[in-house]
Amino acid sequence: MQLNKIEFNKKEIRDAYLFNAPLILIALIFIFLPVIGTLITSFFRDVTFLPGKFIGLENYKRLIGDSHFWQSVEFTLIFVIVSVSLELFFGVIFALLLNETIPGRGFMRVAILIPWAIPVAISARVWQLIYNYDFGVFNYFVLKLGISNQPVSWLGTTAGAFFSIVISDVWKTTPFMTIIILAGLSTISNDLYKQAMIDGTNFLQRFFRITLPLLKPVLVVALLFRTIDAIRIFDLVYVLTGGGPGGSTTPLSLYAYDYLVSGDFGYGSAASVIVFLLAALLAILYIKFGQFKEVVK
Amino acid sequence: MKKIQSLILILTISFFSIQCGSTKKDFTIWIGGSPEEVDFWASIVSQFNNQRGYNLKLIRQPTYTDQRRQGLVISLESKQPDPDLFLMDVVWINQFIRSGWLQPFTPYVTKSKFSTDIFFKGILNTVDKLNDTLYALPVFLDVGLFYYRKDLLEKFGFNNPPKTWDELVDQCKKITPAEKKNNLNFNGFDWQGAQYEGLVCDFLEFIASNGGGILQNGKINLDTPENLKALRFMHDLIYKYKISPPNTYTEMKEEEVRRAFQSGNAIFERNWSYAWKLHQSKDSPVRGKVGLTLLPHFIDHNSVSTLGGWHIGMSKYSDEKNEAWDFIQYVTSYKVQKQLLLKVGWNPGRKDIYSDSLLLKQIPRLKILYEAFKHTVARPTIPYYPQLSEVIQRYVNDCLANKIKPAYALKQMQNHINELEKFYAAK
Repeated sequence: MQLNKIEFNKKEIRDAYLFNAPLILIALIFIFLPVIGTLITSFFRDVTFLPGKFIGLENYKRLIGDSHFWQSVEFTLIFVIVSVSLELFFGVIFALLLNETIPGRGFMRVAILIPWAIPVAISARVWQLIYNYDFGVFNYFVLKLGISNQPVSWLGTTAGAFFSIVISDVWKTTPFMTIIILAGLSTISNDLYKQAMIDGTNFLQRFFRITLPLLKPVLVVALLFRTIDAIRIFDLVYVLTGGGPGGSTTPLSLYAYDYLVSGDFGYGSAASVIVFLLAALLAILYIKFGQFKEVVK
Repeated sequence: MKKIQSLILILTISFFSIQCGSTKKDFTIWIGGSPEEVDFWASIVSQFNNQRGYNLKLIRQPTYTDQRRQGLVISLESKQPDPDLFLMDVVWINQFIRSGWLQPFTPYVTKSKFSTDIFFKGILNTVDKLNDTLYALPVFLDVGLFYYRKDLLEKFGFNNPPKTWDELVDQCKKITPAEKKNNLNFNGFDWQGAQYEGLVCDFLEFIASNGGGILQNGKINLDTPENLKALRFMHDLIYKYKISPPNTYTEMKEEEVRRAFQSGNAIFERNWSYAWKLHQSKDSPVRGKVGLTLLPHFIDHNSVSTLGGWHIGMSKYSDEKNEAWDFIQYVTSYKVQKQLLLKVGWNPGRKDIYSDSLLLKQIPRLKILYEAFKHTVARPTIPYYPQLSEVIQRYVNDCLANKIKPAYALKQMQNHINELEKFYAAK
């Protein structure tokens, strides 16, 4: 709150705007304008083979009436909740481990980044081979270990496909969480832990009373990034399941994409707007309830 | 000296005139697909350029069909002068025509006295024409075919491949359990059941081989007893007769089906014509053991194959239409169409290739292909086909995954499509 009270002179304010101008300009041209453009398109019947016409909220009405759209919303939200919480859980554990002075720590810190460094399309393809019915690694173990005498169709059931996507996503993006949390951990002073140990606390007490509260600002940032990313998930699913079986794993962005590339730009835009609104809503919630202002301070 | 001077002068003039000529005739064709496919087209384009002194450029598109369409839709919707020419999957043509992106061929056909009799009339009428105007020409055709293991049928005393679906079930019931003892991965009949465009093709073949269809008398009518019986049969193949594997509806696309059959894991296969050449390749375990024929059908009905393939079209926004038409004539010439068959093993769009007695001797399967082309069924020629296909894929796949009953799947499909029609068939 102190920050607001500091008086800046006019020159300082002008310079600040000037320095920020290139960034603001880029954000305007490449982010703001396309968003507005998409919003406007979503109010039109913009289909390649029909004359264009303003139809108000018709595209949104069609969205609401489409059971597949709701299926996509449901899948997207459940996916966000499950995958982001798992990533948070494993991210914290890995970060705590890597924060200890253990032999080979430097190497492990680099090694854990490998999944994050592989392009999504490639890792999705690799996972697809792992889940493969005939020659996938998973089915090799299932048969070898005698868990079942029939191969399992991993991507074949709704639940199977869902968790296959979640596992691939968690494998891929946990490193991101880990690195951010690790950075947060390194800012916590060791003296606090030493004091707490003198007071006779155990590990769990120290974790919940010191580590977690001090880590909260970093966690909010990490969660914000991951949540927005997860809402927009596209490439992993596009390659891994293509939205199947039976459209049960179609995220909203894939739903929008299908319509955009098939020539119904109005309807595809309306679906994109929904993705944007969802992401914006969640971002606002995080900022409001994550005490983001304190984080920034 | 004078001679040299005049020589230089002539050379310079001719050089400049070539320059002028080539900049004038700069145009492009967009083609994608497998690397082998694109390389073949590159050689055709360079032959064309050498012969006619044109400067046609081949722009390579992605391998996947959907991504190829995506690139074209964006360029054409924004009225770009490039591409001048492109290949279209047979199911895009109607949308492209209705969107006003295609240049009608009629004036060029008249001017160059081009004969369209060399093509299959039924195919031109159903997919390349709208209101009697010609917008595209078939470069190569494809159909769903039935592959079978000659050696296995012989071993179990069957003289002929199944003509009807019932016969197919009978043969599978005899052969599969015995073969499964030695090979755990062995199945009766592999076909495309994953949720993608190929599923619509297979679905159409099943329903049409029972006298059903998607588009009937200009209206989409899916909820019929014929379609129900066929869809139920598709479901039964997996769950009741257990002759198609459980990954049919998750993984089985063209290549998965081909690989399973080729590694000796199936008696029967439904696939496109490209699989033949690969089954006969040197390292193929089924080399020489494969038979090819038309797909089975339900009793009292006929074999039907879904029509696939690629057609050439010209952009309405092209700035080099005369040159582009020259290339279209070149591509559909007897010589190039024959190369298509001999070099990459595709089925030419021209009809007369199939009656070339020399070729028939060399490639006996042309006879079966010709037969199949006469029994083709086209996927609905409506501009919102992508949306329609998506709905069909979803419900048929859901049904094959045993999540919904066949009757419910058809009912839901129809309801959904009625909604689509309300929006897209409006003026």
